[in-house]
Parts: sequence; structure tokens; C-alpha cells
Amino acid sequence: MHLWLDNLSYNNRLRQLPPEHKLGFALVGLTIALISHPPVQIAIALWMSVWIVGYARIPFNIYGGMLSLAIGFWVTSIPALLISGVAVSARASIQADALSGLTIGSYYLYLSYQGFVQAGLIFARTLATVSCLYFVLFTTPFTELLQVLRRIGCPVVLTELLLLMYRFIFLLLSTARELWIAQQSRNGYRTRQRWIYSLSLLIRQLFQKTMKHYQQFVLSTAARGFNGQFRVWSSQSYQASQRYTLEASLGCLVLVIGNFLF
Amino acid sequence: MSQWLVEFQDVYYTYPGTNQPAIANLTLRIPQGKRCAVIGQNGCGKTTLFLLANGLYKPQQGGICYGGKRINYNRNSLIELRQQVGLVFQNPEQQLIASTVEEDISYGLCNLGLSGKAISKRVPQVLDQFELTSFAKKPVHQLSLGQKKLVSLAGVMVLQPSLLLLDEPTAYLDPLHTRQLAQTLATIHTEGTTILMATHDLEWVDRWADWVFVLNRGKLLLEGTPKDVFTQGDLLNKVKLSIPLRFQLSSLLDEVNQSTTIEQLKTKILQILD
Repeated sequence: MHLWLDNLSYNNRLRQLPPEHKLGFALVGLTIALISHPPVQIAIALWMSVWIVGYARIPFNIYGGMLSLAIGFWVTSIPALLISGVAVSARASIQADALSGLTIGSYYLYLSYQGFVQAGLIFARTLATVSCLYFVLFTTPFTELLQVLRRIGCPVVLTELLLLMYRFIFLLLSTARELWIAQQSRNGYRTRQRWIYSLSLLIRQLFQKTMKHYQQFVLSTAARGFNGQFRVWSSQSYQASQRYTLEASLGCLVLVIGNFLF
Repeated sequence: MSQWLVEFQDVYYTYPGTNQPAIANLTLRIPQGKRCAVIGQNGCGKTTLFLLANGLYKPQQGGICYGGKRINYNRNSLIELRQQVGLVFQNPEQQLIASTVEEDISYGLCNLGLSGKAISKRVPQVLDQFELTSFAKKPVHQLSLGQKKLVSLAGVMVLQPSLLLLDEPTAYLDPLHTRQLAQTLATIHTEGTTILMATHDLEWVDRWADWVFVLNRGKLLLEGTPKDVFTQGDLLNKVKLSIPLRFQLSSLLDEVNQSTTIEQLKTKILQILD
């Protein structure tokens, strides 16, 4: 997880909404996206974008960048979906599906109509589901998601582990960055051989530092009276918005009805 | 209540896998209500002394008394001891464990089993005291190092300890944050907390401390007021510790007599400043 994503989740216009509401909304959107037709899925993606960019005020270039990451994965799967191959002798069986093609030796490679349809379906579904996921990531701090998980009965040991991982991932990233800069400043990555050697050193150092941090962490928690359960207090209060609740409910209803119409 | 808040009585401690003791038959008494400093070279046992005082390590020989009573290493006694003896580590990254500032400050109180009402009253007070109210809901990893140091101190002071142990509190701090820390510590001390600080900053010790301990190889080499300690130049030089500028100049002026020329004086002053 990147620091900027964390910053945005703490400083967006939907921060004051109860995390349960936001998580519930995204889950409903996700469920509809999984069972609906492509036009509805595209509508979900557009609608979530309005929530993310319009209501939460997440900069469009950041949201677009994150979306393009997901689209990038989709693009890499396109060749496998669009291009099919059969033996030349079986060419007649795919006549209806082949849009165009060429013969290479005893094989016939062709662009598949079904492949195009499949790619379109995957694109719509990817866009819809990913936008629901991004809605949660951009508008809800990770720690609030953990609080929701706790409230709905997720095992404490799991939420505590996730919390500590979240807290220390930033420490690990900054340590890795410091080490990398220190190596770069001494031309540690100049050649391919040095690159591999420096990377191995970096990993070893990270491991050693992680162990040291762990030992210090055990001491510091004990010094503050750790008694087997990681408990903290928060004064964070949330304000449910009637307008957003109404809009989300009506929107979901329209999407469900739209699914029956298409 | 004894005039000594904590007493180390012939304490011995060796880390597993090493032959050299980190603390070797140390007898040391921390006076109540004073601002104390521990100085010494790296590896002289300062941090181990703190970990022993907080009950995190148990002496292999000897014993430690808190408030005149020998520390009992059972669970309940340790919980009580760790509330009374607050320990602030050198690197705040290793001390801050919750995700936001107020959550981290509340951590020790939650461990004590206080009610939500009591915690909700105490945390804002401490946030206010340390001028951290505007950061209350900020994620810890977004703070500057100076702010992290302050939060780690606030997280300990929220427990209202009677002894505050500070391991290298001025390390990594710029002059502005160092001054802020000095003011905060002055307030804490005025409110009745005994402070014991490990530091390499001898100028700070000279300005700040009421009582100084000099450790060498896990043993107490010297103790007394800054004046008592820093006038023992020869002894401090033997353990490779320098002397604050004020005492070096004072010692130089003691050597001045009628035959000393301005040029000689100038050379000596430049030698000190080097």
C-alpha cells in the first residue's frame, strides 16, 4: 500500500461517513456487478467514479491511474482471448467464429468473435468490480476497515495482525528506501552483477533490521503494560448522511431494475 | 516514602551469549524529584539500566527497589511498576504502535484496564498538554520525527509515572525540537516527576541535570552534581568522556597567572574549541 493512497483515505470528503455504510455500499455494488449484464456493469463503474472523484474529491489523475493499472492487466489477457488456433483440417468447424485469420504450417490462427465478446464481458466486469474496491480504498482508512471487521466478529488475532502489519509496512518501506538510496549513492546498482549483489544485501539488511525492530517492539509494548490484547481508544465519530444514504439506496435499486430490463 | 525512588543493589546482568556483563555489580540510587542524567560511552550499560528499572529485564544477581520496596517480578507487580516507571525509547519508530496519535496515547491506559470514560477524559488532556490536539487523528507514520518523539513521550506521560526514563531523547532532533523538548521536560519535572535521562549531550547535562551518574563498563564510576562530576576531568578523560565547554574554560582560567601571555591564552582557547 502506498503512502499517498493512505493520505487520501484520511483526507477525503467522505471521511466522516460511517465506515460500515461505505463498506456496505461497496459490497452491494460489487454484488450487483457480479450478477449483472455489461451495460449495468459499465453504469456501476461510472457511478462509482462519480462517488470517488465527484463526492470524495479524489484527484481524477490518481483515480484514472489506478484504473489504468487494472485495465493494464486486462489488456495483457486480450491476446489469449482474441487469438485462437486450430489444425487446418478443423478450420470448417470454426468458420462462424473466425473473423479473420492466417495459416501457419498445419495450423490456422484466427481472431475469434467469441473472444471479442469474452474480452468485452471481462472488461465491463473488471471495471465495475475494481471501481467498487477503489471506492473503499480511497474513502476509508485501513484502520477503520479493521474496526468494522472487529465489530462484525472477525477474530481479534487476525485484526490485530493486520493492524500491526499495516503499522509496520510503512517502517519497512522507509527502511528499504533508505538502504536503496545508500546503495545507489555508492553506485551499488551500476552493473547487472552489482545489481544482484546489492539487492541481496538489501534483502539481508532488511531482514536483520526487521528482527531488531521486532525485538524493540516486544520491549516497548511490554514497557507500556501490554497484557496480551492490543486495545486502543479512539474518539473518531462519524456522521451518517441522509442524502448519501438515499442516493446510494436509490442508485442500487435503479441498477437492479436496470439489470432486469437489459 | 524513601528519598531514593529507585535503588539498584549490587545488580548484575549479562546478555545471553556474551561474557562481558552489561551491568556489573552496580549499586546506584535515583534521588526522588530530581532531574538525573546518565552519561557514558556507547555500550556502558545505560539502556540496560533502563530496561532493568522498568522491570523488562530481571537482574541475575542483586536486586532493585522501587519506592523502598524490592521489585517483585510477578505479573501484577510488573503492571504496577510499568505504570510508575515510564520508559521512552531512543527511536520513536519502535515505540509507536497504534495507527493514529490518540490511539497510541490511549494504548497504555487501555492496558491498565481503565474505563472508556476515564480514557476519553485523560487522552485529550495529554494531547492538549503536549500541543498535539491538532494531530490527534493523524496517522502516526505521517508525523515528522520530532512529532513522533513527542507522541512517544505523551504515550508514556499519560500513565502519570513518578519516574520517567528517557533514552537519548535529543537524538535525531533539530535545535528547535530540542528546545521544545527541554520546555516539555521542565513542565513534567515541575509537576513532580523524577526524570532520568541517558544522553551523550554533555552541554545539555550541564544545563539541565541536578544529578549525574557516570557509567563505565556497567559500573558506576562517578556520581554527583554536574559541578562535582565535570570537575573530575582526569577521571572522565580516562573513560573517553569530554567535559562541557563551561568547565573546560573554567579549568583554563584557573591555570592563568601573571606570566600567561595573551597569545598562550588564545592558543589554549582554540585548543578547547577544537
